[in-house]
Amino acid sequence: MRDEHIFNIIEHAPPSGLSDGELARVHAHTEHCRECRHAFEAAQISQLLLRERVAETIEPSPFFQTRVLAALRERQVGGETSAFRRLWNATGALVSSMAATVAALVVLTVFAPGTAQTSGAREAVSAYDSYSAEEVLFDQSDATAAAAGDQMSYGQVLSTLYESDE
Amino acid sequence: MELARLARAGDEAAFAEIMRRYSPRVFRFASRYFRRRELVEEAAQEVFLKAFTQLDSFEGRGSMEGWLTRITTNTCLNLLRSAKRRPELTSADLSEDEGDWLDGKLAGASAERHRASERSLVAADLAGRVLETMSPEDRLVLTLVDGEDTPVKEVAEMTGWSVSKVKVQAFRARRKMRKAVEKLLSYQRKKSDENLETAR
Repeated sequence: MRDEHIFNIIEHAPPSGLSDGELARVHAHTEHCRECRHAFEAAQISQLLLRERVAETIEPSPFFQTRVLAALRERQVGGETSAFRRLWNATGALVSSMAATVAALVVLTVFAPGTAQTSGAREAVSAYDSYSAEEVLFDQSDATAAAAGDQMSYGQVLSTLYESDE
Repeated sequence: MELARLARAGDEAAFAEIMRRYSPRVFRFASRYFRRRELVEEAAQEVFLKAFTQLDSFEGRGSMEGWLTRITTNTCLNLLRSAKRRPELTSADLSEDEGDWLDGKLAGASAERHRASERSLVAADLAGRVLETMSPEDRLVLTLVDGEDTPVKEVAEMTGWSVSKVKVQAFRARRKMRKAVEKLLSYQRKKSDENLETAR
C-alpha cells in the first residue's frame, strides 16, 4: 500500500534532517521496496548536489566598491534630470491636449470659409450690397434713383405702412 | 548604526565602508543563485544601490546584516524571476562528466575517475542545471533549507514569508528536485545495464 511508502518522510525534510526514528523506518522500508529505495537515493543525491552548489562562492572584485559608487552618482545625476521628465509624465497629456485645442481654434478662426471676414469687411460688403434692406429703403444715391424710377419715396413707404396697419 | 546615519546624510566614505564590510556576505548569498561572476556582481550592485536609497527605512532595530540579507533575497528573487527558465533537464542534456558523477554516486562513489575538486565542479554544474528548471521560490528555499541547513524560521524572516509557507514551499520543491534527479538516475541505470549486457 502507498501509505506504507516513505515518500512523505523524505519530502518532509532533507535526508540530513531526518531523525533516527525516521531513518530507521526509511531503511527498514527501502530494504524491500525498490521504488522507495530509488526515491531515497535520489533525495540523498539531490541534497549532495545542493551542498556542492552552495559551496561555490564568488568573492567581490577589488573594483566593486568603485563601480557601485560610480553607479550611485550616475543615478543621482539621472534623478535630477528626470525631475522634469516626471513632471512631464504627470501633466504631459493635459498640456498636449490643451495645446492641440488652442491650435485647432486658431486654424478654425483664420482659415475656415465664411469666418475670415472682420466686422469692418462685413460693413463694407453690406454697404455695397444693392439688395440689402437699408439700400432698398434709404438709398438716395443719384445713380440708383435714376436707374430705379419706380422706387417709392419716404412718404409713400410710410403711408403704405400706416395703411396696412389701419 | 553610526555608519548608516552618516551614509544617510550623504557620506560616501561611510557607504563605502558598509560595502567593504558586507559585500562578501552579499556576494556569497548571490552566488548561490547565479554562477556567472557578472550576474553575481550585477545582483550585488543592485543590492547596494537599493540599500542606499532605502537607508531611511533602516531603523537600526535589527542588524544591518539582516536588513541587507532581506534586500539581497528579494533582489535575487526578482532577478531570477526575470531570467528565462529552462523547461526541463533531460538525460540527453547531461554531459559525460555529469553522467559519470551520477554513476559514481549510484555505485557508492567508488568508481569515480576524477579528483575531488573536479567532482565538486561537475556536481555544482549539474545542481545548477537541475535548479534552472525550477521556480525562483523553489530554488531559494531548497538552497537555503536543504543546501545550507538554514532554519525554516530564519528563511521566513529573510523572505518575509510565513513559516508554514516556507515549509510547504520546501516540501514541494524537494519533491520536484527528487523527481528530476530520479529521472536522470533511472536513465543512468538503464545505460549501465546496457553497457553490462554489451560487455557480456
